[in-house]
Amino acid sequence: MTTPISIKRAGRHEAAAAPAWAHTTLEAFRAEDIRNLVFLPDTVMGRLLALAEQDPFFRLVGVHREEEAVGILSGLFLGGQRGAMLVQSSGFGNTLNALGSLAMIYHIAFPLLVSLRGELGEFNPAQLHMGRAVPGCLDALGIQHLTLRVQDDLETLLNGALKTCYTAEEPFGILLSAQLTGWKPER
Amino acid sequence: MQRLAATRIAVELAGQSPIVGGVGNSTFDLVACDRPSNFYMWNSMGMASSIALGLALARPDLRVVVLDGDGSILMNLGSLATEHTAGVTNLVHVIWDNGGWEITGGQPAGSPFGIDLEVVARGCGFERTATCADLDRFRTAFAEAMTDDKAWLIVGKVAPGDSPYRPSKNCVWLRDRFMTAIAD
Repeated sequence: MTTPISIKRAGRHEAAAAPAWAHTTLEAFRAEDIRNLVFLPDTVMGRLLALAEQDPFFRLVGVHREEEAVGILSGLFLGGQRGAMLVQSSGFGNTLNALGSLAMIYHIAFPLLVSLRGELGEFNPAQLHMGRAVPGCLDALGIQHLTLRVQDDLETLLNGALKTCYTAEEPFGILLSAQLTGWKPER
Repeated sequence: MQRLAATRIAVELAGQSPIVGGVGNSTFDLVACDRPSNFYMWNSMGMASSIALGLALARPDLRVVVLDGDGSILMNLGSLATEHTAGVTNLVHVIWDNGGWEITGGQPAGSPFGIDLEVVARGCGFERTATCADLDRFRTAFAEAMTDDKAWLIVGKVAPGDSPYRPSKNCVWLRDRFMTAIAD
């Protein structure tokens, strides 16, 4: 018997300010019955979470280290529910062993949304290396992935990626470029 | 108490409830009490508690049991906080405390250094907890946990010793058997 603790999970972000890509992403999730958003926030995902939180279709599950999300999404899948992982590239680095030794070998399907730091408009030197390593880590684990850069073909790419994800019954990396999500003005 | 004897009690009292086995000896002893609604891990150490949380979120109609290890939960202590913040009440989290990493040669971890996992769980919001050093106390606590409407955390103090049992290496078969067994 789940008794959600009634604390706003999206923080200071407001649904009204959610960008177009967040609307498109949540509609693609809804079409595939992906209700559980398992997240460790960054400012990019925060904008999507604010939009999802005011929609009763979605359930937000916050984790305290990103590896937990692989386990939670595996448990949801075993229990017959779909979910998505929402993390930043730095946090993606915390998920690697669980992706290889749990999600891939047991064939657990979920979209793995990663907001990419370190590529465009980066101000923080410590974000550079993990950010640029994300595609290579996914390739090394044999996890299919694509990078979303522009709003134009977003719906097609998301719908296609999600369908393939559940056919393969494996995680599918969906990387959000700062070209799509913007970057911070800080230098 | 012996981990295998305590595992048999948990399986007996769990009825039709799903049980997630933690990596290593926690899963291996659960294999000795094999049933389709057992989920066996082969690696991803630390993930048993998170898998059980996901199951508990997906299936609020079931009480979900996880038989975790002390080394495993020490690797994912944050998951105890997540179990509380996610708001699940249908989770029975058992941690076998044998004082270390048994399967790699008995290197000490946790309780030999004074780490009290029941206190950690209390600090993470668990209202129902117990520490059990013998089978009678474990049976009483586990039976209460299975019939309660709150999340439980039970630390079971177990003797060192490796388990000789092993699950199938076909992980997709393990997955499908489990999913079929617990499907509504």
